[in-house]
Amino acid sequence: MKNKKKFSGNYFKEFGTAIAKGDIGVKLSLLVMGAGYIARKQIINGLIMIALEAVFIVTCVFYAAPNLAKFGTLGTVQFEQVFDPLTLTSKVNDYDNSFLILLNSIISLCIIAAFIFVYIANIKAVYRLQQQKEAGKHINTFREDIRALFNEKFHITLLSLPCLGIILMNIIPILVLVAVAFTNYDQQHMPPSALFTWVGWKNFKQLFTNSTTLTFGYSFGKILIWTLEWAVLSTLTTFIGGILMAQFINSKKTKLPKLWRTLFMVAIAVPQFVTLLLVRNFFADSGIVNTICSNIGLTDFLKSMGLVSSNLTYIPFLTNPTWAKVMIVLINIWVGVPYQMLIATGVLMNIPVDQLESARIDGANSFQIFWKITMPYVLFITGPSLITDFVRNINNFNVIYLLTQDVYVTSDQLLANSNAKEVDLLVTWLFRLTNEYYNYKIASVIGIIVFIICAGFTLVTFTQTIKGSREEDFR
Amino acid sequence: METPETRRGGASSADNSAAATDNTAAADDTAAADDTAADDTAAADNSAATDNAAADNSAASSDDPVANLIAATTDTVKLTVWASEEDQTLTTQLLEDFKAAYPDVTFDITLGSESESTAKDTILADVEAAADVFAFADDQINELVQAGALQPVAATYTYDVASANVAGSVEAATVNDTLYAYPMTADNGYFMFYDASVFSDEDVKSLDKMVEVAEAAGKKIAMDVSNGWYIYAFFQGAGYELTLNDDGSNNCTWNADGATDVAQAIMDLYGTNVLVDMSDEEMATAIAEGTIAAAVNGTWRAETASDAWGENYSATKLPTFNVAGKECQMSSYSGYKLIGVNPYSANIGWSMLLAEFLTNEAAQTARFEARGLGPANVAAASSDAVQADPAIAALAAQAAYATPQRVGGNFWAPAETLGQILADGSAGSDLQSVLDTAVEGIMAPIE
Repeated sequence: MKNKKKFSGNYFKEFGTAIAKGDIGVKLSLLVMGAGYIARKQIINGLIMIALEAVFIVTCVFYAAPNLAKFGTLGTVQFEQVFDPLTLTSKVNDYDNSFLILLNSIISLCIIAAFIFVYIANIKAVYRLQQQKEAGKHINTFREDIRALFNEKFHITLLSLPCLGIILMNIIPILVLVAVAFTNYDQQHMPPSALFTWVGWKNFKQLFTNSTTLTFGYSFGKILIWTLEWAVLSTLTTFIGGILMAQFINSKKTKLPKLWRTLFMVAIAVPQFVTLLLVRNFFADSGIVNTICSNIGLTDFLKSMGLVSSNLTYIPFLTNPTWAKVMIVLINIWVGVPYQMLIATGVLMNIPVDQLESARIDGANSFQIFWKITMPYVLFITGPSLITDFVRNINNFNVIYLLTQDVYVTSDQLLANSNAKEVDLLVTWLFRLTNEYYNYKIASVIGIIVFIICAGFTLVTFTQTIKGSREEDFR
Repeated sequence: METPETRRGGASSADNSAAATDNTAAADDTAAADDTAADDTAAADNSAATDNAAADNSAASSDDPVANLIAATTDTVKLTVWASEEDQTLTTQLLEDFKAAYPDVTFDITLGSESESTAKDTILADVEAAADVFAFADDQINELVQAGALQPVAATYTYDVASANVAGSVEAATVNDTLYAYPMTADNGYFMFYDASVFSDEDVKSLDKMVEVAEAAGKKIAMDVSNGWYIYAFFQGAGYELTLNDDGSNNCTWNADGATDVAQAIMDLYGTNVLVDMSDEEMATAIAEGTIAAAVNGTWRAETASDAWGENYSATKLPTFNVAGKECQMSSYSGYKLIGVNPYSANIGWSMLLAEFLTNEAAQTARFEARGLGPANVAAASSDAVQADPAIAALAAQAAYATPQRVGGNFWAPAETLGQILADGSAGSDLQSVLDTAVEGIMAPIE
């Protein structure tokens, strides 16, 4: 925090100094951005900056200003249309589209923020030029500046494209998502025919309150708990399963290791959604697995055990909450283990052989070697990827959605009243709310919460695992 | 989190492009006006009609809107049409006929594939980028109207939509006294088909009797009660109401006095394990395997049943069921497939004419002949061939007890769960509170 303050303090202090101590060229740059460069005979740099400023002003006037003017209300003119039966044409008024206003305003704000950054950097740069000139140092020509971008400043060239990509593909959509959470964008307010507007924290309150008619609070709690349970279970099971599998295949006693490895790889090669949809059919109430179970008497056995309710003639693999949760975890092991096995194989092949050898000479058995040397080593190497797996599982849409959509009907009426199911993850609930009920506002709130959970978890665990001299500890 | 985000991102860019097309279309119109104005500067307003009329030598007067439209159309008319995958061949043919019907106009019509049952989802994702003319099932009409995705049928040009089609289909295409779509088929509701070797004509009148007969024969009867669409048959049949309010919320009396008897009746029927709760796909398998001798479903499964039962395939209206000693006729949702016009279409006039063309008597007859779909058109439906179809006859018999689907989105999930827990017997003994909770969810306010 202190560092940050110091940084922002310095940032603006330098800017202030530049203005205060700058000569006419620097001061003129406050108004005409390229002036400072031109004063130092960097004509092309100067012209580029002037052009940039001109483009910015034009963007402001024709794009940012009209959108930002409506940003407060998100539009006021509703779509209206008059149809003329005689000419078969319709006249449409100049209507506002709330979503486009929101999107364009956010893009405008990003452009303005970027411009301010460039503007300040520009003043500092021309002041630096002034200092160089005063000190009698060489001032780069345009060609030398370009060359510098490919040599000592190459990192800037390399990073600018990814940065631009992140802003366009990640930052702007996330900002839109955050903004939508504060609006009433839902089926009653769908652009372009209807307008939506700001409603403050109302949606957040709705998600955390629970009344007889609005059960979002209840559903959110239940779904959050299952989401976390699922993330822990699925990450651990596939991780352990993958390591064991890799260990078995890597073992010197295993014959034809390549064959086994290839066989497991086949599971990856088949597109996941095909496998999952097929599996869903296998385990349907009247599916092939149920037919087999019933024929060999397993269904009756489970009934007598009390695991299947007595009025059913089938095993509710994917239709009873508990059964479905267990099945989902098991099926996920089957589709997830090959990936972990692949990672673990790579790691296991790189275990320092000397350590294994010396342990063996000291008389450790295979089990001890596995727990004392292999596992810590694997954990150390795959720690960060385990964290990303956990976060990915929180958002593991495919497995849950493809296995339960159209099959699973909740028997919890309170969940049903907010369009949720016991087996839903936050992300599948969010998807159903947007895709089937067009409830974008609540979905955005859920999106923000998922983001906070994932980001928080990632930050904490990453700093924990990477912190300090863990590598030395391991050695 | 990522999925809806990218969806919106993608949608917004499509928004832009759609807006762009709109603009060009507007520009075209002015350009057309400019052309004629250059020829005949004096009467700029009427120039479009007179100028082209002279060229066509067809003496178009401004009283004939279609002639006006033909005269005013100078550029290629670009239209997009969405029809279901199964309807592609037929629609392609109809589009060719449509082009031939207006030889003076150049059309560029793109045919896309979009199931009638999911049209709403695709359209509502981005109305401006949706097709100009699209087919959809009538249960989606409320949400489409609410989202402003349907152009009202303010006038008709080639035939009178309201009088040519059966009353039920026109009612289904009407929201708040405004006709919003063109009826295309009248066969999208549900009815019962059965194996005549198991049930007699008398048996199929009462569900309780059917259960008895089926149990003796070792067969089962299927109805997907864990689905709001079908559970409605019981409650509506027993006289409990479900209606749609203007704001999109529902009004529902399924927890009123005596409604627990209906719930109890459903529990008892499904408790026999003879009447079974099966989804559409499961039903298809079960019918083919021969475990099921009767099913409540729609024309889309009629073929499966007639393949399985052959000569014995019969269809009829839904049976009655026993509510606390009283026989109640099961109700149903009538179902129609409609054709709608997108109000954001750049060629609204041509879209409306095309929609009329795709739903006129000839087209509906062709659709029956090619695909066996029951026509909504009165004249087309009265043909002997249509009358002889058992499924269509059954739907006609059920029509007296059927209502068009007018229900808001909050109905489905609570009703689905209600059906589920009644059918699997997990509802417990306090049926009143079960119904209360369901009704609370169904009637949840919309904000």
